[in-house]
Amino acid sequence: MVEDRSISGRIYAAINFTLLALIALITVLPFVHVVAGSFTTSAELAAHKFVLIPRIWSWDAYKFIFSTNTIFRAMGVSIGVTLVGTLFSMFITSLMAYGLARRDLDGRNVINFMVVFTMLFTGGMIPTFLVVKELGLINTYASLILPSAISAFNMIILRNFFQNIPEGLEESAKIDGCSDFGILFKIVLPLSMPAIATISLFYAVTYWNTYMSAILYLDDSTKWPIQVLLRQIVVLASGMDHSSTLDGTVPPPDQTIKMAVIVVATLPILMVYPFLQKHFAKGALLGSVKG
Amino acid sequence: MQEVTVQPGAAPPLRLEKKTRSSELKKRLWRNKWLYVMLLPGVLYFIIFKYLPMYGLIISFQNYKPYQGIFGSEWVGFEHFKRLFTEPEFFNILWNTIVLFALNIFIYFPIPIILALMLNELRGNFFKRIFQTLVYLPHFMSWVIIVSISYVMVTMDGGIINELLSYFGFEKINFLLSNGWLRPMYIIQVIWREAGWGTIIYLAAIAAVDPGLYEAARMDGAGRMRQVWHITLPTIRGVIITLFILKIGHVLDLGFEHVYLLLNSMNRQVGEIIDTYVYTAGLRQGQFSYSTAIGFFKSIIGLIMVMLVNRISKKMGEEGVY
Amino acid sequence: MKKKSFSMLLTVLLAFSLVLSACGGGEKSKEATADPTPAPSNSNEEVSTAPEEPTEITIMLPLNTSETPPDTIKKEVEKLTNTKLTYQFFPADTYEEKLNTSFATGSLPQVTYLKNSTTFVQMKEAIKDGQFWEIGPLLSEFPNLNKLKPEILNNTKVDGKLYSLYIGRPLARQGMIYRKDWADKLGLSAPANVDELFEMAKAFTEQDPDGNGQKDTIGIVDRNELVYGAFKTVSAWFGTPNYWGTKDGKLEPEFTFEGYYDTMDFFKKVRESGYMNQDFAATSKTDAVKMFTSGKAGMYIGGSMQDIDSLHKDLIKNVPEAVLDTHSMVAGPDGNFAQWMIPGYNNIVLFPKSAVKDEAELRKILAFFDKMMTPEVANVMYWGIEGVHYTVVDGKAKPSSEKELIEREVKGYKDSVIGEAETNGMYESYNELPGRIHAEELLLENVKVGVADPTAALDSVTYMEKGVELQQIITDATYQYMYGQIDKAGFEKAVSDWKSRGGDKIIEEFNAAAK
Repeated sequence: MVEDRSISGRIYAAINFTLLALIALITVLPFVHVVAGSFTTSAELAAHKFVLIPRIWSWDAYKFIFSTNTIFRAMGVSIGVTLVGTLFSMFITSLMAYGLARRDLDGRNVINFMVVFTMLFTGGMIPTFLVVKELGLINTYASLILPSAISAFNMIILRNFFQNIPEGLEESAKIDGCSDFGILFKIVLPLSMPAIATISLFYAVTYWNTYMSAILYLDDSTKWPIQVLLRQIVVLASGMDHSSTLDGTVPPPDQTIKMAVIVVATLPILMVYPFLQKHFAKGALLGSVKG
Repeated sequence: MQEVTVQPGAAPPLRLEKKTRSSELKKRLWRNKWLYVMLLPGVLYFIIFKYLPMYGLIISFQNYKPYQGIFGSEWVGFEHFKRLFTEPEFFNILWNTIVLFALNIFIYFPIPIILALMLNELRGNFFKRIFQTLVYLPHFMSWVIIVSISYVMVTMDGGIINELLSYFGFEKINFLLSNGWLRPMYIIQVIWREAGWGTIIYLAAIAAVDPGLYEAARMDGAGRMRQVWHITLPTIRGVIITLFILKIGHVLDLGFEHVYLLLNSMNRQVGEIIDTYVYTAGLRQGQFSYSTAIGFFKSIIGLIMVMLVNRISKKMGEEGVY
Repeated sequence: MKKKSFSMLLTVLLAFSLVLSACGGGEKSKEATADPTPAPSNSNEEVSTAPEEPTEITIMLPLNTSETPPDTIKKEVEKLTNTKLTYQFFPADTYEEKLNTSFATGSLPQVTYLKNSTTFVQMKEAIKDGQFWEIGPLLSEFPNLNKLKPEILNNTKVDGKLYSLYIGRPLARQGMIYRKDWADKLGLSAPANVDELFEMAKAFTEQDPDGNGQKDTIGIVDRNELVYGAFKTVSAWFGTPNYWGTKDGKLEPEFTFEGYYDTMDFFKKVRESGYMNQDFAATSKTDAVKMFTSGKAGMYIGGSMQDIDSLHKDLIKNVPEAVLDTHSMVAGPDGNFAQWMIPGYNNIVLFPKSAVKDEAELRKILAFFDKMMTPEVANVMYWGIEGVHYTVVDGKAKPSSEKELIEREVKGYKDSVIGEAETNGMYESYNELPGRIHAEELLLENVKVGVADPTAALDSVTYMEKGVELQQIITDATYQYMYGQIDKAGFEKAVSDWKSRGGDKIIEEFNAAAK
């Protein structure tokens, strides 16, 4: 953005900056609390309500969660599923979104409506389970990916972005002898990098958060992704399970362990965003191609 | 702006007489054959994983017993719907759901847009990226964590906010156990968790703005505010409308976890929504049919809303979602 | 539905599009090269064919620990019982979903643990329908299973027939855990009756028991639970029946009894006077425990008194000089003692007919459980491996100091041991903490004045269908009464609401079943 050196411009920028800094601070504080909590002792946490900088430092929580290979294995599964799943989903989503973005396609409205319809109506857990079972996907990693391969929401958003690409570009590519596939991969996708980055991120986060599919479709707990471990610890440690009984045999895990697990399970997916951020600045591309 | 987006309706320039129409259609179909091939995996996906299992909705009209299966269970017609509509609390629950949804639409929904515009106005890529990353963090905290952190902050038993209030001589406020505070707490938590995350999609849309347009506007002496209003906002209008339509479909579908965690005996009067009711009355008692029937009802209302808003948006010359 | 053809098709499509995507033979697009089609690995049910001797058993059970335990214990149990076991743990939090889905799709394994008595109530209909094996007649063939307590087995019967084995729990473990150091300092003894209980709560709040010069302590800490929080335990002290009581020879729900009102009045007074946490209706167990272990609260009522060990461990980290004790003998206004009792089990195991093909197979599985009820096996599953996870002191099991090791390797199996120490012969726990030793004595005392739930073995169709939903009305009204939002008339209105929306039917059905 071009600098605006006028006084009103500066005031505008300063107000904007201050506001955003404030918002960022508010959003980040609880996170700091969680990170700080993971590096201290449970006694310190119990004594001070909202720890931001621990007075007593401790690595115990991390030692505990890293003392077996469960978390590494679960992390490996999650990273694998997220990578493969995101690529796969992006691929078939882009194909579909592009097809439906083309206004000269007969029947596109019917298909669009059918897609929207699935956002509202679902058959439920049991029939879906049966489909997954019939396809022979039970106990395979594919069961974490295929049943949620396309998000109707993501597809519609991507289609919207594709629709905004000037049709003239596609026309001229066609004249140059490009196939429809060629147009998609050579012209539409490169011009839609911000959208591609966004939707990839959405998919990646969805795959990273996979929980219920794993519980339903994977009987073998060694195949479980990180979210199962995370949720299990968080739920146990938060005492939020209302059906909990009078059971003294299982005291909940330490709060510090809960926080350490949150940190460990969130960090990898957090790191995705900064990598995608650079694509958000590529809007200029569109202008230049057109010009 | 007009140069960037192609207006709808300009598309197929084919308004021919009936005779040539079918041959034209064939021609078009053949020409677009690869496009249909592209659609194939997606369409297959939706058929197999979405439409095939939809027979599960049948159980809304049955007294479904897992061991009798969908095809063996007793048919009861609209029995479960009747039960829902004659539930003494039904209208209260429906109202509560709509109020929370309205808060979502009128308070939460515009915030990511404003935030995205503000982020876009930041000078310098460094701060832009830092802030962007920071505001998007909360999305990765589960509701359990967020609710338990807010508990620590607002409880009467030594919560920070109440301690501050009483330190400055104010009366303590019973945030957790009052009908009045449930909704504000709910929407604040929603904003806190989702606003930053919600900006991403708008930032992507903003990235498509042709910088040349700003240049031109500046030449015309337009200030920053006016540039935002006349260039940035119109560019992302399509995305805003699409998101709005998709959101309106979830009018009764707020999700169970967040509200359930906030709910207690003292605020159930305003806090019980359809999804939490399904949990207590249906799922926790293994009432599959009743739960499914309620889900069915939610979906129908959602569908009506989507169709309605979609039509309005098309009438106003926008694209709509289908 | 053609198996796997879908992913095959996708693979073909992807390859296809790869060829087509380039125009003029440029570089290939990145998306396409990352062909991710996840081929179903088909590792389904790869049970290695072991030499025919060991029985292969697949077991599904809720996971109550942070992660699935490693095979250490399992291997030991397999050796001892000559079995090949496959344990399928699923998070307790979402166990019902898994259970329901597996059940509806016929994929329950041979041995299915439920989650708690609520899931048991849900399953009763299916049990009646004959979806699970009846094991009653076979029990006498197994000497150890035959030792299971008949009164508890009775509580788990459905229509008078036995379908399940139970995981035993002491009948009445609840009571209060309190700060003995505070009581001593203020010259108070353990409350002998409900008035003294109130006085203790008052003193703990007002007399600065922690001696820091600030009025920053409270008497009682409670949480958002009427049953497993303080309410039900105190209500028993006030003489309220256990869920259901008899009035004029007829079963009536507890909330129509005098004692229930007295209990509500008690908590109302305690809360209004500021002697308990003000937000208890919204306080989770973790937060309640935290309030106690941080030294803010003096009495933790309603939980298992055996929890004193873990409370003590956390408390002394914050307040090194703290001393805890347990107590449960609090007399009601009429001077009588009473404790409510659970039906003696925590969970049950079922054997689905869809997975256990015939009686021969069922016998083999029951044989495994029969062996589980020997001291050797029960000890391994409950305490772990001697010398590693525990040592034997005075004929009792003393857990090793490596708490994390126990939590990781043993705890997951603990909740699956059939029976209880008296029937399966496993070690009792060796306790060092005086309060815990006291707790074990009180456990026995409690049972002497224990009040059982008269409906434990009874069925009511309406209760099965609407019980939880209706209970919500009463729960809400109870809290609202304690918070002073409704008065007696308001509460009675809620009760009549309960009755008109199905409660009357429940009363009728239970009374009919009791005959």
